[in-house]
Amino acid sequence: MPFKKLTLKLSRYLLIGMLVVLAGFPVYWMATTALSLNSELYGSGQVIWPQLQNFPQLWHELGQVPIGLWLFNTLLIAAGGTVLSLTLGSLAGYALSRFRFHGKGLVGFLLFMTQVVPEALILVPLYAMFITSGLLNSLTGLVLANVGFSLPVACFVLKGAMDAVPYEIEESAIIDNCPRFSVLTMIILPLIMPSIAAAAVVAFFAGWNEFLFASTFLMDRENWPASVGLASFVGQYETPMSAVMGAALVFSIPAIVFFLLIQRKIVAGLTAGAVKG
Amino acid sequence: MTGSKIRSGMTRLVPYAFILPPMIYLMVFMFWPLARQMYMSLTNTRIINPNRGRFIGLGNYERLFDDPAFYLSLKATLVYAVLAVVFGVSLGVISALAIDRPFKGRAVVRAILLFGWAVPNVAASLIWLWMYNDRSGVFNRITEFLGLGRFPWLTSTELALGSILAVTVWQVAPFVMLVVLAALQSVPHEVREAARIDGADGLSTFRAVTLPHIRPAIQLASLLVCVWSIRRFDIIYLLTGGGPVGTTSTLVVKIRQIAFEGHELGMASAYGAVGLVLALAIAALHYVVEQRRMKWMSR
Repeated sequence: MPFKKLTLKLSRYLLIGMLVVLAGFPVYWMATTALSLNSELYGSGQVIWPQLQNFPQLWHELGQVPIGLWLFNTLLIAAGGTVLSLTLGSLAGYALSRFRFHGKGLVGFLLFMTQVVPEALILVPLYAMFITSGLLNSLTGLVLANVGFSLPVACFVLKGAMDAVPYEIEESAIIDNCPRFSVLTMIILPLIMPSIAAAAVVAFFAGWNEFLFASTFLMDRENWPASVGLASFVGQYETPMSAVMGAALVFSIPAIVFFLLIQRKIVAGLTAGAVKG
Repeated sequence: MTGSKIRSGMTRLVPYAFILPPMIYLMVFMFWPLARQMYMSLTNTRIINPNRGRFIGLGNYERLFDDPAFYLSLKATLVYAVLAVVFGVSLGVISALAIDRPFKGRAVVRAILLFGWAVPNVAASLIWLWMYNDRSGVFNRITEFLGLGRFPWLTSTELALGSILAVTVWQVAPFVMLVVLAALQSVPHEVREAARIDGADGLSTFRAVTLPHIRPAIQLASLLVCVWSIRRFDIIYLLTGGGPVGTTSTLVVKIRQIAFEGHELGMASAYGAVGLVLALAIAALHYVVEQRRMKWMSR
């Protein structure tokens, strides 16, 4: 019996070890490649340990890549999308959480539908629309396109949080004829700050990671976000692989950090949308 | 008197003041484009003049249903989505069960297991492209070391879809794991302990006690992984570009290619219409399953 228990325990740790290697290796390899020399990568073979002494060289190589400009554009796109998604999402979330109105079921269905529609489906019509309205090749147009997909997620996260706020808290303010909009901004929103932060992270990194719209709508290199800039390295061999991986790592680290911080909230938001539809 | 009547009329309008701005936004940037896409699929619109296409009825669809490339694309989409669900969900459930009970270093393990989900798609594509590299990639270095020779991971018709699936599973399994871990918290530990003391082995405890608790979570995660697979563009586009010979050209990759490389917006929209039907069918299926479960639970 103790022997069986031991093997069971051992095989469990073995399984966990294997999963850790499978999940962690690509990121580890990204870092190791960034700290390698080109002669190793294409010749003698990649050293499997990170060579920290190569960091100054990586730093120098990254200086040759416009990663700063790309990340700045990414930041603008992500921040713009976050502000717009949260503003519109909190309005929709409050309406769905606190009121009964005609068409509420339809609104819920439409919000759910946005979660199954592939972005590629509206790529062509948005392109046609942006040509006529002069939004093609502009960050504004890109943000407007992205928010259609991040707004519903923000709405689901915020509605869930508002449902948990007891109605009594806003009741006295409503009796005192306080406008409902002020009730939302002065009473409800301050109470659900953690969920607002979670919705903000989700919307922010939806914009941070977005590639399809950005690569189709933005032609000028100065407008490229990091996702498009990094993708331009594919099939191009002038940039050293170490610099490509270094840039990819710089682009990934903020996403990794924030996703790990609010993982549970993200899951709650994404699954709520699919269930309530 | 009339004042209060006006007030109550106004009060009834209040919810619309909140719901209209976001809904108008979605109408303009989501549903109007979707409707327009359906209409465009009935025209011969080309990219040089995207706002002026001639109505040609079902011409695009006739061409579409005669084109072997379309069936190849449909098949690639379905095979990719189904296998992503099968492997992504299995690995996710296994990971969740493996780290459910506390052990030393659990927080670190849990964080590392989430890496694939947290890394941005384009960065993930770049690192996997490098690992799949024909001459210098780590996979071929390993297979060469083992004496198996090199494999054309992304350029062979037999391997390409599998190679993309590996990346996909790496990305979605952590999400499944999180959903299942959350559901596992609702399994009463005493019940599991009792089953074990009664002499039930691990597998039957899992089937009788744990599985019923996490089944809804698994269903939901499967739906989301399926929908995401149909939507996924960047990974496939960057790793194989839909090749070799169309074996990985899912509908969304095809839409972008026909529209912006073939310049036929009308035809691309017809592909889009098929994609929409597929996405809606899956959403409807989910809805039916959900309804039936609720009925079953209330009985």
